[in-house]
Amino acid sequence: MIDRLRLPLAATLLLAGIGAQADGVRTAPMLANTCAGCHGTNGASAGEYMPSVAGMDKGYLYSVMSDYKSGLRPSTIMGRIMKGYTEEEIWAIAGFFADQPWASTDRPAKAKLVAQGQEIHDKLCESCHDDGGREQDDESPRLAGQWAGYTRYALAVCRSLGERCRPSKMGRRVKDLSDEEIRALASFYESEK
Amino acid sequence: MGMSGITRRAFLQASGAVAAASVLGLPTPSRGAESKARVVVVGGGYGGTIVAKYIQMADPGIRVTLIEKDSSYVSCPLSNEVLSGERDLNSLTFGYQGLAKRGIKVVRDEVVGIDTEKRVVKGKGKGGYPYDKLVVSPGVGFRWDAIAGMSEAAAQTIPHAWKAGPQTTLLQKQLKAMRNGGVCIIVAPPNPFRCPPGPYERAAQIALYLKHHKPKSKVLVLDAKDAFSKQGLFIEGWKRNYGDMIEWVPAAAGGAIEAIDPKTRVLTGTVEEFKGDVVNLIPPQKAAALAELAGLTDASGWCPVDQQTFESTLHKDVYVIGDAAIAGTMPKSGYAANTQGKVCAAAIVAAVNGQPAPEPSYVNTCYSIIAPDYGISVAGVYQLKDGKIVDVPGAGGLSPANADARTRAIEVQFALGWFRNITADMFT
Repeated sequence: MIDRLRLPLAATLLLAGIGAQADGVRTAPMLANTCAGCHGTNGASAGEYMPSVAGMDKGYLYSVMSDYKSGLRPSTIMGRIMKGYTEEEIWAIAGFFADQPWASTDRPAKAKLVAQGQEIHDKLCESCHDDGGREQDDESPRLAGQWAGYTRYALAVCRSLGERCRPSKMGRRVKDLSDEEIRALASFYESEK
Repeated sequence: MGMSGITRRAFLQASGAVAAASVLGLPTPSRGAESKARVVVVGGGYGGTIVAKYIQMADPGIRVTLIEKDSSYVSCPLSNEVLSGERDLNSLTFGYQGLAKRGIKVVRDEVVGIDTEKRVVKGKGKGGYPYDKLVVSPGVGFRWDAIAGMSEAAAQTIPHAWKAGPQTTLLQKQLKAMRNGGVCIIVAPPNPFRCPPGPYERAAQIALYLKHHKPKSKVLVLDAKDAFSKQGLFIEGWKRNYGDMIEWVPAAAGGAIEAIDPKTRVLTGTVEEFKGDVVNLIPPQKAAALAELAGLTDASGWCPVDQQTFESTLHKDVYVIGDAAIAGTMPKSGYAANTQGKVCAAAIVAAVNGQPAPEPSYVNTCYSIIAPDYGISVAGVYQLKDGKIVDVPGAGGLSPANADARTRAIEVQFALGWFRNITADMFT
């Protein structure tokens, strides 16, 4: 994690998109700051259906944004937006958010729903989303502390895609979940900080 | 920005009863040698809050002062939902404490002039605000003289409700008092104006109220234009949710309004007259009065800027962002002001540190809520080409036509998420 207070000014300026080349190349912060209106300052979302992207795995962020751009991952608005960026720019945006600290939601959880969700997690999800959804890599996003609204939405979309969900093993895992089970699972992950 | 009329509070300020002071009395960075530049930002809305915050975040060595005439901010985006009763103004109201905590000096004062020679902003409170760089984010003003009979005074009975706050409440009260079977007229302005989809979202939100409370009533949109933002999606959404309750009259069919009698609420169009039980007249627009006063506007009434930095082409070291600025193909919207504020902040920090202006990136996203489970959106991604802001080809665009119910419903949730995040970006 980057501690901004301890960075020399030049590095701080670089982080903030300043000290940039004016040669047509847009810096990572210049590109990424335009996302904050929906995903929160530095990618820490204020909720509920906009996911926090701060502190996510860089490879995961790249593949999701890139799949939005190509249409492989269905979306309402993200596909339209990502078509505005080159491959290099998508990597730059992914890198910017990956470098930010993760911020969990601070909403109190409903114990019964969480317990029900944990059961499903243990049975179905833990092999890829280890440590209560804290573990992440370029295929598995961090889920612990994520807004439940977004997780519910993402799971429901994946369920409706079935084998076309990326990765396809996710589609297979979630295809038989009920709305109630998805709700429980999403609440469980939000409660894990 | 709030109302420009002389309110009692403004009068008190003018009389000196309320001196310019830090809104919260919280500690602010001390004036002194450690400040490498003074940046003053005028206007604490969608653009001004962002430019202040992002300069402060990027370079804490710059001393940032934000001057705003109201003690809190009422968001225009989502204020149409007040008319349907889906939310109240409190849910749209924000304070400046979060920005003060970041070390931005937040001052409550009304700016009455800008001396670009001496580089001083003049407020109604005594003394001035010297600056090295000044950012003006003043919003829009109204061309009262464009429609005969219309005036700022007449807006007390014929509300525009195009700046959220008391005007929104006034329109809401009139709708509540209207008879079942009445006609609510919305007069939509010519381009360019603040929030291009706004009048049409408003028609839907008013219809939502009428459908539940006064189902025999009508909403009539009289337009100065022959086409409008998200037009196909709105017409589809109006029909699906409200049947024939909303009728749109384009300019070519006589929708352009030339005069109004505020007493009788009779509107004179190019072809015929219209009478409304409630009339919401959104006047033609220009940059806010302050921009004109400071000599920042051109013949169009808007502010020409270097579209890479938002520095005025008329006055050096003065920057104009948001609705008041001429910003290529970007619409006058809250999200546009947000990303313009960030581009402007980066340019100012670079200039203060002796570096060239960075290559800019801009985005717009606008949601419109037609019904509680029916939302639509438009997005735009922009770049600088030959000194002008232009759309990135192939990117952006509208929600699909004839989308399924689930898509329309989730776009409402995204609209609410948009609001939570953009206001957190501004005020925390």
